Amino acid sequence: MSDRVVLAIGTKKGLFVAEASKTRRSFALRGPFGSGVAVYAALIDARGTPKLYASSCNAFFGMKVLRSTNLGKTFKETKSAPAFPKEDGRALANIWSLEPANDRKGLYCGVEPASLFHSDDGGDTWDLVPGISNHEHARKWQPGNGGLCMHTIYREGDRMHLGISTGGHYLSEDGGQTFVAANQGVGAGFQPDPYPEFGQCVHKIAGHKDAPGRLYMQNHGGWANWDGPGGPRPDIGVLRSDDHGHTWRSIAKGLPSDFGFPIVVHPYDADTVYVMPLEPMTRTCPGSAPAVWRSENGGDSWRRLAKGLPKKQSFFTVLRDGMDIDELKSPALYFGTTTGQLWMGRDGGEEWTCLFDSLPPIHCVKVAVV
Amino acid sequence: MTETTVAILVPAVLREYCQGAKQLSLPAGTVRAALDELERRHPSLYRNVCDETGAVRRHVNLFVNTLHVRDRDGLDTALAPGDVVTILPAISGG
Repeated sequence: MSDRVVLAIGTKKGLFVAEASKTRRSFALRGPFGSGVAVYAALIDARGTPKLYASSCNAFFGMKVLRSTNLGKTFKETKSAPAFPKEDGRALANIWSLEPANDRKGLYCGVEPASLFHSDDGGDTWDLVPGISNHEHARKWQPGNGGLCMHTIYREGDRMHLGISTGGHYLSEDGGQTFVAANQGVGAGFQPDPYPEFGQCVHKIAGHKDAPGRLYMQNHGGWANWDGPGGPRPDIGVLRSDDHGHTWRSIAKGLPSDFGFPIVVHPYDADTVYVMPLEPMTRTCPGSAPAVWRSENGGDSWRRLAKGLPKKQSFFTVLRDGMDIDELKSPALYFGTTTGQLWMGRDGGEEWTCLFDSLPPIHCVKVAVV
Repeated sequence: MTETTVAILVPAVLREYCQGAKQLSLPAGTVRAALDELERRHPSLYRNVCDETGAVRRHVNLFVNTLHVRDRDGLDTALAPGDVVTILPAISGG
């Protein structure tokens, strides 16, 4: 029976694990694991006996994958981390995403420079997925500020959606064998062509199992006042697709900014979606007053959720994997900040509580009920 | 011809990748050959020192006795019997 709420919190100085009962009254904190080493990706794999995974992005000695089989009480390195073939010429710079694959022990791993790896043994061995890693566009993608990262891996049956910054959205409809750039309607503010075939700075993509074909995207917005080549391109930052990502349309109207990083969908309602708008230049919350914004109608309108959050003088960023939602009956939303606070918003973000206020800068937050 | 044997000093943080050894003894006539031998004998340790292209990682320094290899002939630095190759993480970070 699932009765524990577990958070995996990836930070600049290692992975923390927080655990609470289903009341979520008190979270016990463990860690850091991989102490002193940045963690950009975490996964709570609830298939069978729950396992926790985390990337450990060691600037000195390279990338590792950490695995725990006891709910994050201890971690060990897997036998190997993803690595490019020697003749490829690329070297792994970071690990940005870890997601379950179809097979029981299968995992996918998105890395920097943007490429995809697959493991069929729980992360002990890894193989490059050539359909995207050696795609004809791969050597043309450009790194964004965070690096050339594959940060989103979202599967719908045989369809696989990948988010690459800056590469855009890539779609496979044959189980990951081949991929096409699928960015119609996804704008780019940093190219003369506002709607290129690929090269967009996608920040995050999310979907819902009960609404196949529907996807939400937080793209790199903030170009409403652009006066360079191609002219202004307002509202390209928050998008929706209803055809498996072949085409996209803006749902940014009503938000204070269309720039942001994470986008999260309610576990039981595909129409309910959350973003955290940020000012595009500072990447902090508008008016220095943090708020999550929620739409309950698939992006047609938005409502500000800030009860319990600071009302002023807050200048943090919430990064692309810094927000998640649990799957209890009345789900709680969680976000971690670059200033080291972990916030929980009960009742889908209606009321916020700071769970931890002095962690290292937070890169990613994942939650599961196990 | 007698094979050159050199010592490799392993920093504490990497000893878990070579069964706890503080020092390894390897046959190698150059630093590059020492790394090749390291890859054969201790692949996990090697992967911490070099990336998958074979380049020494940016924040890892290699010394032959007291001199950084960049001040000699890089990976082609010749090794003599009894030389000590020291692996050290750079002072960097934040």
